[in-house]
Amino acid sequence: MSSVLYKNVVKNFGALNVLRSLDLAVPDHKFLALLGPSGCGKTTALRILAGLDMPTSGKVFIGERDVTRLQPRDRDIAMVFQSYALYPQMTVAENIGYPLWIRGTPDAERKTKIGEVAAILEIGHLLDRRPRQLSGGQRQRVALARAIVRDPAAFLMDEPLSNLDARLRLTMRGEIKRLCQRLSATTIYVTHDQVEALTMADLVAVMHGGELQQMAPPIDIYDRPANRFVATFVGNPPMNILPVALSEQGVMAGGKIVVLERTRLTACRLAEIVEIGLRPEDCSVAPSDAPGALPGEIYVVEPMGNETLVNVRLDGGNVSVRAGRDFRGVVGESIGVAFDPANACFFNSAGLTAVHRVNNNGRVT
Amino acid sequence: MSTRLARILTTIFVLAVVLLPIYWLVSTSLKSNREITQEGTLYPHVPTLDNYVRLFTEKQFGSYLTNSLVVTFFSVAIALAVGAMGAYAIARFRLPFAAERKVGLFLLTLRIIPPVVILIPVYLLMLSLGLLDSWLGLIATYTAFNVTFCVWMMESFFREIPVDLEEAAMVDGDSRFGAFRRITLPLAAPGLAATAIFAVLVTFNEFLFALALTATPRAMTMPRGTATLIGRIDTDWASMSAAGVIGALPIVFFALLVQRHLVRGLTMGAVK
Repeated sequence: MSSVLYKNVVKNFGALNVLRSLDLAVPDHKFLALLGPSGCGKTTALRILAGLDMPTSGKVFIGERDVTRLQPRDRDIAMVFQSYALYPQMTVAENIGYPLWIRGTPDAERKTKIGEVAAILEIGHLLDRRPRQLSGGQRQRVALARAIVRDPAAFLMDEPLSNLDARLRLTMRGEIKRLCQRLSATTIYVTHDQVEALTMADLVAVMHGGELQQMAPPIDIYDRPANRFVATFVGNPPMNILPVALSEQGVMAGGKIVVLERTRLTACRLAEIVEIGLRPEDCSVAPSDAPGALPGEIYVVEPMGNETLVNVRLDGGNVSVRAGRDFRGVVGESIGVAFDPANACFFNSAGLTAVHRVNNNGRVT
Repeated sequence: MSTRLARILTTIFVLAVVLLPIYWLVSTSLKSNREITQEGTLYPHVPTLDNYVRLFTEKQFGSYLTNSLVVTFFSVAIALAVGAMGAYAIARFRLPFAAERKVGLFLLTLRIIPPVVILIPVYLLMLSLGLLDSWLGLIATYTAFNVTFCVWMMESFFREIPVDLEEAAMVDGDSRFGAFRRITLPLAAPGLAATAIFAVLVTFNEFLFALALTATPRAMTMPRGTATLIGRIDTDWASMSAAGVIGALPIVFFALLVQRHLVRGLTMGAVK
């Protein structure tokens, strides 16, 4: 296993600028999720690492080796494709054994290896079948088996779960996570699904518009987003954003003064913040005249079974609130939205997070 | 009931149109010249294989057949090998200003030019190269024709094959050419077969260039050889029919051989 490093990687397709100077370091043995909306450049970044696309400029390292100009086969990587890319003319065993066969591994050793990975992925009974005789989940397992049959420097996965149905995706998500932990392999996992990224990865790199927005452990991506984009892209429903104006004791939001603690208020003043960000689970419904609650009216009520999502129209925008499963409210009813200002974060006019939420140990940033 | 009757009648009519000429060819090849020209029988009253024997003893059809088979085999084989790589390149690689598409179109326009237009230049070229009346001259000429056709026809077959498969093979440890040879080409086999049969048909039946470029049994092909049976005064219909049967046999045999692939090749991409 090896670390992976992108250094000032730029990729243009004609006039289209897909990657603008990507700098990214994946430590050895870590599982990194490249997360972003479609067209953000995450798949291009992965293909550049695989050697399937050449960067316009910049360098890519696997371990100590500069692999920027190397052929894919000389990079010592394994990749799982979104389409699985199983060779239709070969059996499952031949598919799994292909990376070994092409490198001239002796027959006996190859057979043993195929047997081992087939056992790990529980596809031993399918070895004589052809890909077209397999279900989606089985194909996925064969693709994974073909990737892990060697001991490559890094695993690359390009949205490997996106072709599975929702239930199977859930199962495979857990399995891939277990597999990667077991192999302790450096893994780059491209996905547009934030749940996959947050649940599976050691590190999440959020990309947007060909630029890296933030790279951090999942909990930090969620709790301490670097900017407005990360804050609203990660989380479902996304973080609520409301415009604010600075005032004497705090900020003016949703038609009311939100009182801030002294150091945070000073930080907000210095940063000239313009917006407040609140996670839906940090908000709660309250009577509209409750002290500190922002007054509004119910816009939509969505019972989810385990909870109820309440969308409340405030002065300055709508906010989502996670309410209890027994919440009963009528659209148009007056209601208040209460929250602890310590859980809020604040954005400046450039969209960067100027003041983070007060985290668990009470440190203010 | 009447629709069923109509269907049967239609089937009989179509079969008659298709099969009657073949029946007539085969039955004529088994008659004597006397029976053909003077008696006009519907089937051979005194079946004889004399016509076939005569082709190989008195005439030089052994050579003609060998020439045809050799020339067709090599020109189609070379054209398929070169054409497959050309088609793959056009299907996969992107050049500035989409130049690869223009190359594809250019190759197609070469096919549109009537062959007779380039007959004299090709003749003079072969004359200066000393390749008149030789296998090599014919093979070179037919290969040039077939390559353009193979590239054009096979490009669409390669486009159908997901590029992911080659990329997976390259990541797995293959070179690009290895991925092409081991992964893509076997998957393109139906397309290859369909292309091959068309190329074989065109080459085996070609007459114009064979007429211009060959003069002796050393290099004359079947169509060219058959034409020698048309005399100034009379035509040996019995021998010509036998030659027709023998000329058709290799094609029929080849078609049976690749039939399975052919059907798949022609419908490839029609359904997912």
